[in-house]
Amino acid sequence: MSAGFALRMAWRQTRGAWRHFVGFGACVALGVAALVAVGTLAVNLDGALTREARTLLGGDVELRAARPLGAEAAAALERLRRAGARTTALRELVGMARSPAGRTLPVEVKAVDPAYPLYGRVQTRPAAPLAGLLAPRDGADGAVVEPGLLDRLGLRPGDRLALGAATLAITGVLVREPDRPASLVSLGPRVLVSAETLARTGLVQPGSRVRYRALVRLPEGRAAHAAGEDLARAVADPGVRVTTFDAAQPGLRRFFGQLATYLGLVGLASLLVGGIGIAASVTTLVRRQLATVAVLKVLGADGRTVLATYLLQTQALGVLASLAGAALGAAAQPLLVRALAPLAPVALEARLDAWTLVRGVALGALTALLCALLPLLAVRAVPPSLVLRRDVEAAGWRARRPWLAALPVAAGLAALAVWQAGSPGLGAIFVGAALAALGLLALCARGLAALGRRAPRVRGVALRQGLAGLARPGGHAARVVTALGLAVMLLVAVAQLEAALARQVALEQNRSAPSFFFVDVQGDQLPALRRLLAAASGGTAPAATPVVRARLAALDGVPVTRELIARRRAEGLDRMWYLTREYVLTWAAEPPASNVVTRGRWWTAAEAAARPRVSLEEAAARGLGVGVGGTLTFDVQGVPVTAEVASLRRVDWQSLSPNFFAILSPGALDGAPATWVVTARVPAAAEAGLQDRVSAAFPNVTALPVREVLERAAALLAQVAFAVRWMAAFSVATGLVVVAGALAATRWERLYESVILRTLGATRGTVARAFAVEYACLGAAAGAGGTLLAAALAGIVLRLVLELPWTLEPATLALGVVAPTGVALAVGFLATFRLLGEKPLPVLRRE
Amino acid sequence: MGVVMIRVRDLTLRLPSGGRTLTVLDGVTLDVEDAEVCAVTGPSGSGKSTLLGLIAGLDRPSAGTIEVAGVALTPLGEDALARFRRDTLGFVFQAFHLIPTLTAAENVAVPLELAGARDARPRARALLDEVGLADRAHHYPVQLSGGEQQRVAIARALALRPRVLLADEPTGNLDSATGGGVIELLLGLNRERGSTLLLVTHDEALAGKADRVLRLRDGRLLDANA
Repeated sequence: MSAGFALRMAWRQTRGAWRHFVGFGACVALGVAALVAVGTLAVNLDGALTREARTLLGGDVELRAARPLGAEAAAALERLRRAGARTTALRELVGMARSPAGRTLPVEVKAVDPAYPLYGRVQTRPAAPLAGLLAPRDGADGAVVEPGLLDRLGLRPGDRLALGAATLAITGVLVREPDRPASLVSLGPRVLVSAETLARTGLVQPGSRVRYRALVRLPEGRAAHAAGEDLARAVADPGVRVTTFDAAQPGLRRFFGQLATYLGLVGLASLLVGGIGIAASVTTLVRRQLATVAVLKVLGADGRTVLATYLLQTQALGVLASLAGAALGAAAQPLLVRALAPLAPVALEARLDAWTLVRGVALGALTALLCALLPLLAVRAVPPSLVLRRDVEAAGWRARRPWLAALPVAAGLAALAVWQAGSPGLGAIFVGAALAALGLLALCARGLAALGRRAPRVRGVALRQGLAGLARPGGHAARVVTALGLAVMLLVAVAQLEAALARQVALEQNRSAPSFFFVDVQGDQLPALRRLLAAASGGTAPAATPVVRARLAALDGVPVTRELIARRRAEGLDRMWYLTREYVLTWAAEPPASNVVTRGRWWTAAEAAARPRVSLEEAAARGLGVGVGGTLTFDVQGVPVTAEVASLRRVDWQSLSPNFFAILSPGALDGAPATWVVTARVPAAAEAGLQDRVSAAFPNVTALPVREVLERAAALLAQVAFAVRWMAAFSVATGLVVVAGALAATRWERLYESVILRTLGATRGTVARAFAVEYACLGAAAGAGGTLLAAALAGIVLRLVLELPWTLEPATLALGVVAPTGVALAVGFLATFRLLGEKPLPVLRRE
Repeated sequence: MGVVMIRVRDLTLRLPSGGRTLTVLDGVTLDVEDAEVCAVTGPSGSGKSTLLGLIAGLDRPSAGTIEVAGVALTPLGEDALARFRRDTLGFVFQAFHLIPTLTAAENVAVPLELAGARDARPRARALLDEVGLADRAHHYPVQLSGGEQQRVAIARALALRPRVLLADEPTGNLDSATGGGVIELLLGLNRERGSTLLLVTHDEALAGKADRVLRLRDGRLLDANA
């Protein structure tokens, strides 16, 4: 083999036929751009979360509990202070803000002390020290509020605002809160007040839902991890969670990690579509180069030299296109950052990451190599005797497909997919799904070709010719249907998921979902609230459920301690959350309507009267590792309540009624400090008025408007969907490149055919109609196959990931077939309309 | 009797065609001596080009043996055949078969480069000069006339001073005046270099310029010693 010759030939061949490689390059570049864009985003997100970890947590270490931190914690914090640490105490809860005009709004209240914040800076308008803004003035307590509150209540800085029993003066607007808790959906705008102000509101009552936090900023050089362990040892109560900054926000990290992974898979899909384009483009190249290959062999080039020539050529172009793609992905970064900025809890940068760029280029170059290899191997088998035939290209020579070589190539592509997906499991799912999708789409293409071969039975020249065109040699039908079909699958699946989620939100609104959850209702307020609500909702009785807050003290008699949790973790159990979380308990004589008892049975009145029993939700029972017959001991405000597990329940969490992990038998919680959750349904138009009236009459009661919370969740989903669609756009663009390439590859046959038809007396209109029939069939097949796959994909995601029912979305599905048909017609005509104007004689002479 | 450069014995080629077997060449036996100019004529489909292709090792016979410049072709593999062609043969085609992405000079340089010649470029230029196309060196095939393309092809075929030159209807795609010029060039250069020339043509005038004419019909040689 002559390496120098291969290199020179590769350069000369490219120099002369660069047009042929535009499609090839675009396929590689778009795939790499998608991967680099999403990879860079993931790195930036992770970097920002790591960099801002202290600020997001608000300190190096955090203590967090659902009840006031006890003496042990206070002593431990005092020791840290003596060692040079700074600490601050926070309380967070949801309350109702009321404007002087009587308009109300649920708000997320945060009470801070003067040491806050320990890290970062609270930005306000006007810019002033926070302590000053929160100080009392003119008989009211200072408060800093988010702009959303002003908009919603029609207030301006300087106006008054009622919160519980306190009157607040709005002294500033909150621009940026460094440790804004990163729950993705908030229940209302933030209101910052001082600890004294919170006391004056009267919102902190037994049983009300308050989060108590203590933050620690360690002196320079002191390790957060060690301090965290010391605190955990000092505070025995496992209900007090100790978190160090580097382990903070696991939910947030998981959310963005998963988002990046899913976006990465969508990016990988565009490289997959690109791979089809690469293989198609190289197949066409080999067909066009048959004469050159044969001549080179006649002149004495061996098979390996010829293969090396074309491999060098495609590989060099693959690397160049990958570099261009990486540049495109980097350039697209600011756009993607802007798309995701509303979701992100931290400011995102569009900083480039060297490893991501290198990986993107490597993935692109390797994909180009593997996808090009299979069709290129054919050049070794091209017989030199082709030069003796009159028309080399029409000689009908076809390489035997190197199926044996296909295996390592497929394995290589699968390995690349696993590499990009980041885990073998996810990679395997992607590869499996891709194989299934490609298989089905290839089947669609075959069906189309079969239809084409039967075409002569159809009447009408244009229709017959168009259908016959589907069976055209060169395999353009397979290329168009697979590439376009994959793009359709992605877009339609996203649209279907969106529609299903939107329908879910709407469905809950339409059925018997309540308009409001009124929480923290005290027992003595219940009769009056019931009357008010009954009148408002037109006589239907509102539902009231008692709730008692408690923590789990013992499991089957074994105290829940930090040691138990550590032991369980060592045994490989996760979901420690079930051991440490605060439980909202209730009691009931009958099982709730939307619950199904799956193990054991519900208690009789006699059983309930005998001793306390509890019914557990299935997943919670699994997480705790208890079954029917076991016992749970709850610590209810210091009083232990031990109950036997009588049954397990399956809970429909989608039903918007109050749902509970643990329901106790009637009488078990007698004497415990209970508050009530009251649900009510009123017409949409009456919602605002009712909320205002309830808040005016019961300032401590928080009204959670279901519609708004659902709308906020829907807005979050819309943003995620936007990001996914943004990524899917790369696949669509790649798909269009492949379609245009596949149709351009059949240009000569098409030209010849159209000229023959016109020589026989067909008008240009007839020829155009024949083309249209062919393009429309290709688009419709891609649309139908892609939409079918999308329905399956959406069904799987809904069922297995989101645990929602799959519903038929006829409009989305119909659009999934119609739109690709239109796209195929448009791209087809753009790629071939010039053929219609060619004069027949020169074409026939050339032939 | 001079040295035999091409020795063909009982050469037979059968190809499947539409479910039947088509005998393209049927027991052809011939010898061509060193520096001899030999024309093969016959009607279309008589097997002329196939004979030439088999002698060049472009395909394998169904039976018989071929020996060119002392090398038996039948036992050689594809890559060995390619090297044999590079070292021993020059080939001129009816359809020129220049590589369209290469300039005239580069087309001529290809066999030189494949042989690892360091001075491929100046030698290619000199060859183009010999065929009268020095000023067309940087033109691509599409920018050349048919006659010019065939001249480039001749320069390419002679680049490595092959001992055997094979020409398949070299004037078939040219008008008679141009064709005449091309033939004069081909014969002249061949005479200068003293190589063996086997020429396939159905142009009797052209065949008449050869030392010897072989006639093929239906795959059989009519009078090998005429």
